[in-house]
Amino acid sequence: MKFIENIGEVLISLFSNIGKFILFIQFFFKYLFGPKFYFKNNISYFISIFVSSIPIIALTGIFSGMVLALQSYTGFSRFSAESAIPNIVVLTLTRELGPVLTGLMISARVGSSIAAEIATMRVTEQIDALKTLNTNYYNYLVTPRVLSLTLALPIFVTLVDFIGVMGGYIVSVHRLGFNDNLYLLNTIDFLKLSDYLSGIFKAFAFGFIISIVSCFCGLFSDKGAFGVGSAATNAVVISSILILSSNYFLTELFF
Amino acid sequence: MKIEIKNLKKRFSDNFVLRDISLTIEKNKSTIILGQSGCGKSVLIKTIYQLFSFDDGLILYDGKSEVDIDKFSMLFQYGALFDSLKISENIAFTDFINNKRNFNKKVISLMNDVGLDKSIFDKYPSEISGGMKKRVAFARALYKNPKVIFLDEPTTGLDPINSDKINELILKVISMRKITAVTITHDIKSAIKTGDHYYFIDKGIIQDKGDCNKILKTKNKIFKSFITGADIKQ
Repeated sequence: MKFIENIGEVLISLFSNIGKFILFIQFFFKYLFGPKFYFKNNISYFISIFVSSIPIIALTGIFSGMVLALQSYTGFSRFSAESAIPNIVVLTLTRELGPVLTGLMISARVGSSIAAEIATMRVTEQIDALKTLNTNYYNYLVTPRVLSLTLALPIFVTLVDFIGVMGGYIVSVHRLGFNDNLYLLNTIDFLKLSDYLSGIFKAFAFGFIISIVSCFCGLFSDKGAFGVGSAATNAVVISSILILSSNYFLTELFF
Repeated sequence: MKIEIKNLKKRFSDNFVLRDISLTIEKNKSTIILGQSGCGKSVLIKTIYQLFSFDDGLILYDGKSEVDIDKFSMLFQYGALFDSLKISENIAFTDFINNKRNFNKKVISLMNDVGLDKSIFDKYPSEISGGMKKRVAFARALYKNPKVIFLDEPTTGLDPINSDKINELILKVISMRKITAVTITHDIKSAIKTGDHYYFIDKGIIQDKGDCNKILKTKNKIFKSFITGADIKQ
């Protein structure tokens, strides 16, 4: 009997949180540009996440491209299709690995920090203080974070795509003995605009998922140090699961 | 502003925090709300401030049920200063985020009123002491010239000397600016020093009330045990 009670409690809590999350998204759109839009706050937040994320983005791109070239060679050399390596590297990066890996890395780098920061503000009554200072916390806290990350992720993905292709180029030319001009020509000829755009569309979606989930986890965290820790962990776990699952449906959309 | 609270009830899930609260906060007077930790004092003032909704009862602000909460201000227990902003930006927060940059003079005048040195103007909250943080939070609360100020445990976490300084400051501000003050505390000395009237809350209801200068003469057993620290069951 106790076991059934526990399952019931978990389900009630789950559906209650889903309901809260849907309402949260609704309020986000309601307050997206009003009653106040803090332009300077939005710009400075965008710059801060952009600058702080560049190193991790560059490392993700370069190593993904390098590993992809090596692994593709292992497979393709078995049926003498090594010439397909530039095509596979660029296609895999732009359509899949670029947006997914960037999304996962940014959820760990930025999402956790958003959740922890907002949860700390909640624990130390700074969110209440905002209300007493007549400041809508959606306008002041949520909008800058969601807009910045939703707009920054496509730029990050473009960088990962570019740096990843360069990583593949370096390994293919200097390690596997490819002709450098031919590698680049194959890459450029094979890539279609729709491949790149499908990855960019995913990036917008993932940016929105990471930021809205992280803000939600921070604002509705439990109190105390444990609450702040859980908020950061939940933000990363939930964002990652949503990125991976929504990736399938978005891939179906562009298939 | 006079605030009347009638039969106020507030619960979180199945837990009734405020069972039946009726009290009056007189205009331009200092009202003290006393009670043990967890008795619902903070919930009460946040409900009056409209940060929380309530389940039943009535709150009247100068006889009306609606109020412009811009007339209110709050000093939070631990200051609730914004870590990423400088002291001056914290004090002039609303002007700062609305890009009004001519607040320096007003901020310096307020810092002077609350006994803060100008040298911390450009510092961050992490660079100043707990007592200073309280003063900064006090200055922020006064920045918008409130009609009612809510003080959530203003002396908590301070040493006796700093506590006394904060009490002096509260008295000075209330008399200088002619504002209504509602203070939550469990510091009896502070209540006697800064309050006109007191209400003692226990288990979500008002157990005792009266003038602050008569606190020590109370006949209420629960309040007496709260003052002396004795366990009433013994």
